[in-house]
Amino acid sequence: MLEVKDLKVSFGGLTALNLDTFSIRKNELRVIIGPNGAGKSTFMDIVCGKTKPQQGSVKFKGLELLGRKEVEIAKLGVGRKFQKPSIFSGLTVYDNLLLGLDGPKDVFTSYFYKLASYDKDRIMEVAEKVGLVNDLTMIAGSLSHGKKQWLEIAIVMLQDSELMLIDEPAAGMSDVEAEKTGNLLCDLSKKHSVIVIEHDMKFVEQIAIEKVSVLVRGQLLTEGTFQEVRNNQEVIDCYLGSANSAQQKAHS
Amino acid sequence: MFALVFPIGYFTGLIPINTLTLWGRYFCLAIAALGVDLIWGYTGILSMTQALFFCMGAYGMGMYMTLSNLPEGQLLPSFMVWNQVEELPFFWVPFDNFSYALVLSVLVPGVFAGIMGYFIFRKRIKGVYFAIITQAIALAMFLLFSRNETMLGGTNGLTDFKYFLGFDLRDNSVKFGLYAWSLIALGLVYWYCHNLVNSKFGKSLVAIRDSESRMRFTKYKVTHYNVAIFVIGAMVAAVGGMLYMPQTGIITPGRMDVQASIEMIIWVALGGRGKLKGAVIGALVLNLMYSVFTTVLPSSWLYILGGLFVITVLYLPKGIVGMVDQMKEKLNGMFVKTA
Amino acid sequence: MKKKISIFVAFLMMLVGWSQEQEAINIPLDTCVHVLLHKDASRLKEVAGYLVAKDDVTTYPLLSAVVDKRLFSYKGTAVTKFAGDTLYYSVYPKIQVISIQKEKLSEVKLPRSIRTKFNVLAKKVNLVHPNKNVREMSFRSFKTTGVLSDVNFLTSLKINEKEEQVLLAANEAIYSIWLKSNNVALQNKALDDLETEVNVHMLESLTDYVSNTTNSQGKERAAIIIEDIESREKIINVIQNLFSGISLGSILLLVALGLSIIYGLGGVINMSHGEFVMIGAYTAFSVQQFFIGFLPESWFDWFFWVSLPISFVVSGLFGLLVEKLVIRFLYSRPLESLLGTWGVSLILIQLARTIFGDVTAVKSPEILSGGINVTEGLMLPYNRLFIIGLTIVMVLLTYFVFFKSKLGLKIRAVTQNRDMSASLGVSVKRIDSLTFFLGSGLAGVAGCAMTLIGNVVPNMGQTYIVDSFLVVVVGGVGKLIGTIISAMGIGVLSKVFEFFYEAVYGKVILLLIIFFFLQYKPKGLFPDKGRHSDD
Repeated sequence: MLEVKDLKVSFGGLTALNLDTFSIRKNELRVIIGPNGAGKSTFMDIVCGKTKPQQGSVKFKGLELLGRKEVEIAKLGVGRKFQKPSIFSGLTVYDNLLLGLDGPKDVFTSYFYKLASYDKDRIMEVAEKVGLVNDLTMIAGSLSHGKKQWLEIAIVMLQDSELMLIDEPAAGMSDVEAEKTGNLLCDLSKKHSVIVIEHDMKFVEQIAIEKVSVLVRGQLLTEGTFQEVRNNQEVIDCYLGSANSAQQKAHS
Repeated sequence: MFALVFPIGYFTGLIPINTLTLWGRYFCLAIAALGVDLIWGYTGILSMTQALFFCMGAYGMGMYMTLSNLPEGQLLPSFMVWNQVEELPFFWVPFDNFSYALVLSVLVPGVFAGIMGYFIFRKRIKGVYFAIITQAIALAMFLLFSRNETMLGGTNGLTDFKYFLGFDLRDNSVKFGLYAWSLIALGLVYWYCHNLVNSKFGKSLVAIRDSESRMRFTKYKVTHYNVAIFVIGAMVAAVGGMLYMPQTGIITPGRMDVQASIEMIIWVALGGRGKLKGAVIGALVLNLMYSVFTTVLPSSWLYILGGLFVITVLYLPKGIVGMVDQMKEKLNGMFVKTA
Repeated sequence: MKKKISIFVAFLMMLVGWSQEQEAINIPLDTCVHVLLHKDASRLKEVAGYLVAKDDVTTYPLLSAVVDKRLFSYKGTAVTKFAGDTLYYSVYPKIQVISIQKEKLSEVKLPRSIRTKFNVLAKKVNLVHPNKNVREMSFRSFKTTGVLSDVNFLTSLKINEKEEQVLLAANEAIYSIWLKSNNVALQNKALDDLETEVNVHMLESLTDYVSNTTNSQGKERAAIIIEDIESREKIINVIQNLFSGISLGSILLLVALGLSIIYGLGGVINMSHGEFVMIGAYTAFSVQQFFIGFLPESWFDWFFWVSLPISFVVSGLFGLLVEKLVIRFLYSRPLESLLGTWGVSLILIQLARTIFGDVTAVKSPEILSGGINVTEGLMLPYNRLFIIGLTIVMVLLTYFVFFKSKLGLKIRAVTQNRDMSASLGVSVKRIDSLTFFLGSGLAGVAGCAMTLIGNVVPNMGQTYIVDSFLVVVVGGVGKLIGTIISAMGIGVLSKVFEFFYEAVYGKVILLLIIFFFLQYKPKGLFPDKGRHSDD
């Protein structure tokens, strides 16, 4: 589904990402974890066309993604949810969903667009899934942080992308909300490939039904099931090691 | 009120025709303000070329009027004769015909905006950069229109008309007719804009304003939308300019400079950006104020205008309409509490 | 023998001043001066006739004073004072500055009939005028009016001349006369010299020569010289344009520096920045008025140097005020700040108009008038050189403040990340105010410098603001080096285009070039690198 080779990005001499190989299957749910600045979001930025890497190749369904514009990549079937919720804050929730709805999106179609009943059904269906049915007339900007996250996920869902890049979906959510989000993502992975970036280990445990990848300082440290990764000494060092060694230094 | 009170006032002799003409002009400016609101209020693009498009419409109409007002036997406008031009420049020729002039006055600014917009938006130049570049373009066009070589009357512009479509412009009934047409045009443009902003297209515009990148990742070609609304805004402004022309009887390059465009923006800002009502109210209120203060206290006008800019930006982010809405809400709240 | 005796007798008679008839032949010049100063009616006519006939170079200053009606008597000596000059000169036997007590000075008004007698010499007398420009002009006038017989005294005057520009004019006059003469040897002599020293002022004489002469060899040589002169003229023009372009670029740079810093710091577009330029200029004007009104005249030349720092401070303070009242609320809202500060700019312009009226001018200090004559025809004016120098100094200062001082470090920190800086204990508000003060101050200095080359008018800032914004946009926001390069580029290009096309079209072409440049590099010459978060 997605194959990455020899990917390299640096910002002003600082290497942000140096990924030898990375790939996921169709309908796989992959979780990427790693400390801050490991290059997780940068990786997603590259896949969806926001950032241009210095070298490498990113193939999606056999097609090279690098060099394509965001819109093209999106049209090929890559959807993205950002770390900081990116929604249309001046529009109602309903209008947000309407704009997210898959279909022709050129100027003329929008200009002469008339709402069809099956479109409405689809919007209602997704709204129900993410629990926004009662907020449809609200202005999106006034939603709570958690609901904004759901709204953005809903927009990505409506796009019906084959590959969904979900950046920190549970941030700012209560445990109950996070669990609901987790279920939603697991559900989505039945029909879509999903990559999720997450920090919250409890949440990761819930959704890591398949492989987990660990990124550290721009490099892929290891891959495996949640259990394998959790017991991997290198991973532990990376998460705790810096704190440990700092402590040791302080002691010595 | 404008459709009833003013005409009745005029026919009963209570309101002089000049007041009506003045308001007729305000309506034309309000049409231009609607264009600004579409571009800036809804889509968030701060363009400094709206006055230019307004003037292009006015110039188009002015060219028709210049040619139709030529005295018997004269083939060229006087200013061309003074500049030793022998033949009517090619771009003047179609403007001899009223329907061609009508179409071209809107089409030319539209095409110009389209080309310009395409080149700028293609490179995702937006925000302040967009404002500065359009400012430079407005300046360049102002300089070009001011030259005699461009055959548009130089700094004097186009003026000195007696007839419009064969009607005597000094005739009161003709003046009233123009007033009525301006009001109707304002109504039609308002209705058009209203439909536009409530369509999916209009919502896309607001979406672009709020999050351009989200739009791109949601498969929208933002550049096309930007160009489209830029062209529509330009054409709306041109319609305003076209109607403005016969009522003032003069158009000069001075009307298209950067200051004129910024003033249009402040009309919308003061009225309430992102609200069509706001654009119209802002344009009417500020132009009325302009007329009043420049006659009563000429030197104070710039202080007032400058002050309004500052106050609007600092204290009235949603303009008059937004303020009224807020007050209504508060009142409602009070009623609910007491009830 | 007889002759000798008569001379001896005459000498004796002269000594006792007895025989008028002998004196008519040779009147001592001292006596002539005496007669003129005392308006000795009985001898005026005679003396006048004598002086004209004698045509003595040493009397020219005296005679020019008579012709121009500026002859004064001071303790028995002849004195003059030139228009536009405060000094007095003795005119005989030598022209030199003298100090006098004004009360003992009396004007000598000679009757018209006497003055007009000297008119035949009028053309020559100014050849010894103390002002080198007048001398140069009068030498040059011989180019068209001179005849072969004039060459002798022109040459004799040339020998004592020390000013290069006057010497050049004298040579031109002589060459032109030679070229006009029918003497082929003299023509060739002139051409020989002209081949070695290229002189643009000879263009006309040479062209005349080419079209009139029958000497085909000389014609050919002259044509080559003309070509030389013209190609040199082109080069000089290019240099001149480059120079004025650089000086325009310097002003743009001074204005754009502040803009760029402020935009980089707070995401604020300050449309009223041009008005700080205007405030700087009016400050210079006010300081000048103060010097005229309250301080001794001899101090006047100091006003400009005093007004430079004052302009900085006054504009800076206005900037601070605007920041506190308006801009403070608009950080990171560039479009709103653009509108708000446009309003501020309207108010400031109207304020200036109310206080100062429409046009005022500041007089440049004496030391900055004139310029360096690089070669004939190429002068680099001191005022523009000064502006360039001032800009270099200000840019260096800015560089040090920004990259070598603690304040600069803090400013850069706030520019990078306001919230983070605040949480690290940087007083963001204070940094904002200080930066605004510095940026506006720079504009004030620019305004003060601009008084050297133009009038002070209320909307003078508007003339430069659009160009300065373009400088910022082209250079890349917040990049010192980008701003410098783009300011110089825009300055030079606009002057070059103005030279090749008309001013208006030059401007339009420049704007088009910038437009297409931004197609190619939308973020300017030196874009910010790194991870951008849009929206």
